[in-house]
Amino acid sequence: MSADAIISVQALQKSYAAVHAVKGIDFEVLSGEVFGLLGPNGAGKTTTVEILEGLRPRSSGEARVLGFDPERQKQQLKDRIGVCLQATNLPEKIRVQEALELFATFYTRSVNSEQLLKRLQLWEKRNAFYGTLSGGQKQRLAIGLALINDPQLLFLDEPTTGLDPQIRLEMHLLIEELRAEKRTVVLTTHYIEEAERLCNRVAIIDEGKIVAIGTPMELQQKSRGQSRIQIMCGQPLTAGQLPQWPDALESSLSQDGRTLTVYSNRPARTLFEIMKWLDQHGVPLEDVHLKRPTLEDVFVELTGKKLRD
Amino acid sequence: MTKAYLSLIGIDLKLAVRQRAVIFFNYLFPLIFFFIFAMVFRAGRNPGAAAYVVTMSVTLGILGSGFFGAGIRAIQEREMNILRRYKVTPITPAPLLVASMVTGWIIFMPLILLVLTMAHVFYAMPWPAHLGSLLLFVSLGLVAFRSMGLVIASVANSMQEGTILVQLCYLPMMFLSGATVPIEIFPPSVRVISHFIPASYLVEGVKGMVLRGEGISSNWNAVGALLIATAVGLILGMKLFRWEKEEKINRSAKLWIVAVLLPFVLLGALQVHRGEDVNKSSFFDRDTQRKQTLLISGAKIIADGKIIESGSVLVQDGKVVQIFEGKPPDAASLKAQPIDASGKTIVVSKGEIVDRSEIFGLQ
Repeated sequence: MSADAIISVQALQKSYAAVHAVKGIDFEVLSGEVFGLLGPNGAGKTTTVEILEGLRPRSSGEARVLGFDPERQKQQLKDRIGVCLQATNLPEKIRVQEALELFATFYTRSVNSEQLLKRLQLWEKRNAFYGTLSGGQKQRLAIGLALINDPQLLFLDEPTTGLDPQIRLEMHLLIEELRAEKRTVVLTTHYIEEAERLCNRVAIIDEGKIVAIGTPMELQQKSRGQSRIQIMCGQPLTAGQLPQWPDALESSLSQDGRTLTVYSNRPARTLFEIMKWLDQHGVPLEDVHLKRPTLEDVFVELTGKKLRD
Repeated sequence: MTKAYLSLIGIDLKLAVRQRAVIFFNYLFPLIFFFIFAMVFRAGRNPGAAAYVVTMSVTLGILGSGFFGAGIRAIQEREMNILRRYKVTPITPAPLLVASMVTGWIIFMPLILLVLTMAHVFYAMPWPAHLGSLLLFVSLGLVAFRSMGLVIASVANSMQEGTILVQLCYLPMMFLSGATVPIEIFPPSVRVISHFIPASYLVEGVKGMVLRGEGISSNWNAVGALLIATAVGLILGMKLFRWEKEEKINRSAKLWIVAVLLPFVLLGALQVHRGEDVNKSSFFDRDTQRKQTLLISGAKIIADGKIIESGSVLVQDGKVVQIFEGKPPDAASLKAQPIDASGKTIVVSKGEIVDRSEIFGLQ
């Protein structure tokens, strides 16, 4: 276990009767990082985090969270962590500020609810009933409840699922703020862009197993997938005049000869050589696109499935 | 953690006040029944009937608070994933269960005071001799029945199951305990069943305290059964508490409901064995009327062959102690409860009123 590991999981397994939801996984989460658990529905993400939150017993294996055993030291652990669950609710007629103040009394320490409301842009809604809030406001309140005890470690279980793009963006900004505050965040998601944007490291889970773990960049580099370079030229090219670019696997020209597409394993080097060639031949450049393999590509490569299957 | 208990109680109270359904089922519903029962049983003519109407309203209120206020609401909170949100905090089920009990009690107590006041003001029912005992007994009954509701919530896997279990408990308690239908109208074979119905002990205890001026010491059997049911219910409520609807419980766990009803089953068996009747008094309790001083005035009186066209009868402890001709004396000066019997005929024989139904309504 690393010295700065906040979560350490070894050979963790969870079975429900004949169903093996988690099949022996190992990982560590380091202090101050946003760690993503990425996988399709039913992959075992939620089961894993619920074991770590002290909500479910494990079938076997070891887990330590903030130095606590989540199965045997539930209350101490729950006092120190913040949790935003996938599907929760509050009574329709509870007011926003009342909810924060109620939950504050459950913990040994708490932050000022008024400051939290202002930070979450819920100050104007502090006297509104929970039932009258929009989906985004409810989710911000859920994050507020997770932050009320000023936790060092936060579990956010699919915090943006079902939200519209604008609200999802707001949530991303909020999570980026948490990362800037050096809080440790465990984020489960099946949104690729969320994991790529927010996570320092990602574990890809499928059928209860971790199939890859690393930074989003490391995972992309592990991919056999190629980057695609697309160049729009100011004058038409002919196929015959094009050379073999270094590390390029395949090249093609559009019918009008103005768009050159090159697939490469080392896109930076290939792109540099293309630029040099275009410059030497006096071909005006209109636009350049570089598309790297995404985590989705990595996931498909590793599991043969799409994330939202 | 004390803060958690207090804040949960505070929030539960606020939520209750904000929900029309809570106000309706806790206050309006029992009050509607109060007035309906009062009309049906002619409470205005008979303080004894008024006392019985109070008993019915209070019992119905307790049953509603227990099975619907505690039981169904707990299932709703689980089904709506509200309890799931509490699960990720450091609190245990204890503050939630305690808050449910305390809130239920705080919401219920004004009802009993309201019902007693209305019975006193509108139907001249005397205040119970031991009001403290009555409030204590009602509190105990409320906590016991809320415990039963929470046990049902714990063993029900869905709202549908919970509703069925609640109805299976609620309906017999409503109809076979004397809470809505006087048990005396049933044949003896059916009346035996009432010995095993927890609400019967509640009805009898409240009735004894309101009608006969009993204290809590006259109802130790009922008090004991309610106390045991409360303890068993709270222990089971803690043990079987489930935060999430996905956490299903075995079908066999529904037998735990029997455990919370067991004290009443044993008490019923004991009473049947001893040949005692859970209903210590009949509906229009003659004893009650005998313990009162009544001035029945404005009636035609036939007393041992003598006819008085308009007169009054002073009744003490069930006996006619004096007959007045003409204008009646001041009831207050006689410390008697006035009953207007204008247009009625009273037949007095050997110091007793022969046909009481003429004066007291239903017999």
